Amino acid sequence: MADGGDGRGARTDRGAGAGTARGAGGVRGPAPELDVHGTGPGPITVGGLTADGGAVLVFVSEHCPTSALALRRLGPLCQAWAEAGLAAVAIFEDPLDLAIRTARRLGWSGQVAAQEPPYPASRAYRVTTVPTTVLVGRGGLVTGTVTGWDQRALAGLLYEAGRRLGAAIAVPSEAEPLSKPGCSSKAAIDPELAAAMSAHGGGDEPEEMFERGWTDGLPVVPPTAERVEAMLGGRDGGESLGLVPPAMGEATLARVAACAVLAGCRPAYFPVVAAAARAVLDPAFNLHGQAVTTQPAGQLVVVNGPVREAIGLNSGMGALGPGFRANLTIGRAVRLLVSLTGGAMPGVMDRATLGHMGKLGFCIAEDEEVSPWEPLHVERGFEPGQSVVTVIGSDAPLSISDHRSRTPEDLAYILAWAAASAWSTNWWPLTDPSVFVICPEHAQMFRGAGWTKQRLRQFMFDAVRKPAGQLHRGETTAVVHEAAPDAPVPKWASPEAIVLLVAGGEAGRYSAVLGPCTGMGSQIVSREVT
Amino acid sequence: MAAEYVSPFDERVRAAEPLAPRPASVQGQHAVLLDIRKNRGAEFLDRMETLLQEAGASTARMTKEIFSKPAALGLIDEIAGGGGLVVEALAD
Repeated sequence: MADGGDGRGARTDRGAGAGTARGAGGVRGPAPELDVHGTGPGPITVGGLTADGGAVLVFVSEHCPTSALALRRLGPLCQAWAEAGLAAVAIFEDPLDLAIRTARRLGWSGQVAAQEPPYPASRAYRVTTVPTTVLVGRGGLVTGTVTGWDQRALAGLLYEAGRRLGAAIAVPSEAEPLSKPGCSSKAAIDPELAAAMSAHGGGDEPEEMFERGWTDGLPVVPPTAERVEAMLGGRDGGESLGLVPPAMGEATLARVAACAVLAGCRPAYFPVVAAAARAVLDPAFNLHGQAVTTQPAGQLVVVNGPVREAIGLNSGMGALGPGFRANLTIGRAVRLLVSLTGGAMPGVMDRATLGHMGKLGFCIAEDEEVSPWEPLHVERGFEPGQSVVTVIGSDAPLSISDHRSRTPEDLAYILAWAAASAWSTNWWPLTDPSVFVICPEHAQMFRGAGWTKQRLRQFMFDAVRKPAGQLHRGETTAVVHEAAPDAPVPKWASPEAIVLLVAGGEAGRYSAVLGPCTGMGSQIVSREVT
Repeated sequence: MAAEYVSPFDERVRAAEPLAPRPASVQGQHAVLLDIRKNRGAEFLDRMETLLQEAGASTARMTKEIFSKPAALGLIDEIAGGGGLVVEALAD
C-alpha cells in the first residue's frame, strides 16, 4: 500500500519548510506534470491548477465504490475550495466521456480529467490505490497524500491546505463511513485486466445503462450505433431540432433517435417521436417551465391521423393504460429526451413534488372513427388526412364514472363537475387546458342527441360556476379575491380551456379528465408527422 | 469488443461561471430587485428594498414576463448595465 498497511492514511509536511515537502508513498517534491486530457480547450497543468494557490488532485476510477464515495463527499466542496484559491480536479483512470458522466452523476463540481492506458498520470504520482488524494501547494510541490477514503486524514490535508493559503478550507463532514479502503489503481495491475475493466458492455449491458444514467428508472434498450442508425432511417443525425431545457442540451436527430431506442421504439415510430420532439421544443409550449416545476405536469402527446393505424397506436380499450408498445414507447422517448438530453431528471432539475406516472410516457391516440366530432388536429387547422401530434402539459387522469345519465345535459354536467377540483378545489378559473377523454359510450349519447363539440364545451363551461364567496378558503385566484361574494366564477376562463378527445373501449361508461399544467404560460402545440 | 453507443446527452461541458465578487458593504451601491412574478415574491422584495435603502443603497424594481420562463436577454442586459447588485425573489 502506498501509505500504511491498511491502504489509507495521510502524511503531510505540516510545519516543514518549503522544499522538504513529501507525499507519503507517492512522489515527493515537485509535482510531476499531468499527462491527462480534460474538458476545456487547453491542457491541464500543475502550474495552471496552482496559479491561485494550490490544488487537490483526486485519482479515481469509475468502477471503484470508494472512488464514488470520495467524489460524492468531496464534490460539493469544490466550489468553496476554488473561491479560497484551491483548485480541484478528479483524474479518472477511464475514458473521458465515462469520466464526465460519472462525475456528473456523483455531484463532483470540480474539474474532470481522464487518462488512457497505461495511465501515465497515475504512474507518475505512483498511485497504486484509488482514490488517492494529492495536495499540491503553491510552487507546485506535493505537500500531502491520502489513499483510500479517510475522513480525518483528508480533513488534516485540507487543514494544511488552508493554513498555507491563509484561508478557511471546507472539509468533508464526519459522516459514516469515516474510512474505507480503496481499490487497486489500473496503473498497478495487469494491462489486459485494466483494459477489460475499462471496456463498455463487456458484462451486463442493461446494468451499464443504469450506471451511465441513461434511464428513467426502468431498463432501457442500449442505443448502439447500429440501432440508432436504423431508428434514423436515413435521416441526418446531425440535424438539430433545437435546445432542450432546462440544461439546454442540443436535440440532434441522433440524440432523439437514441432516446427512441432507449425507450424501446420501433423505427416506424420515429417520425411520430421526431414530430413530438419538435412540438415540445416550440417556445410556445414552455417546456422549460414544465420540466423544472414542482407541479406534477407531464407532457401529453396526442396523435391523430392515418399514422395511428400504420404503427399500431391504440385508441380503444385501455387507451390510457398499459399494453401497447407504440403508445408507451413514443411517450417514453419524449420524456427521455426531456430528462436526459434536457437534464430534467427527477430530484435534480426536475423539481416535481410528486410527479405522476404519465411522466414516464404519456401518449394517446384519438379514436376518430368512433368520435361524433371533428378530431383534435382538424379543430386545430389540419386536414383530416394529415398525421399530427399535439402536445399538452397535463396532470394525471381522473376517472369519471357515469352509467346512469339519460340526457346529454346530465352527462355533460357530471363530466364538467368532475373537474371542479382540478388543480385545486378553490382555484377558479383555470386558464390552462383541461383535457377530457370521452369514452365511446358517453360520446354516443352526445352523437344521438346531435350535440356538436362546441355545444358540449359551452355547456360544460356554463355549468361549473360557484359564487366567489364560496371559493375564498385556502389557495385561490385574484379573480376570486376581486369578485363580489355572490358573483359567479366559472371553473374555466373560457370554453376553449376545455379540450375534448374521444378514446377508450366500446363498453363501459368511464371518461377521464386530465387537469392542466397551470400558470406556466404553456400553449398547446401541434406538429405534422412527416 | 466494446460496444459503440450514441449518447442521449449533450456531452459538451460548459465552464462554470464564476460568482461576481461580493461588495463589503451595500452603502452607495445600486441594487436591482427582480420580481419574477411568483406569488408573494413582491412582498419579500418590498422588505429587501426597505432594508437596502436603510443601508444606503439606491434601488430599482424590474419584473420578468413570467416566473416559469428564463428572463429575456434584454432584461438581463438592462440589469447588468444598470445595477451593481441584484436581488431575485422566489416565493409562494
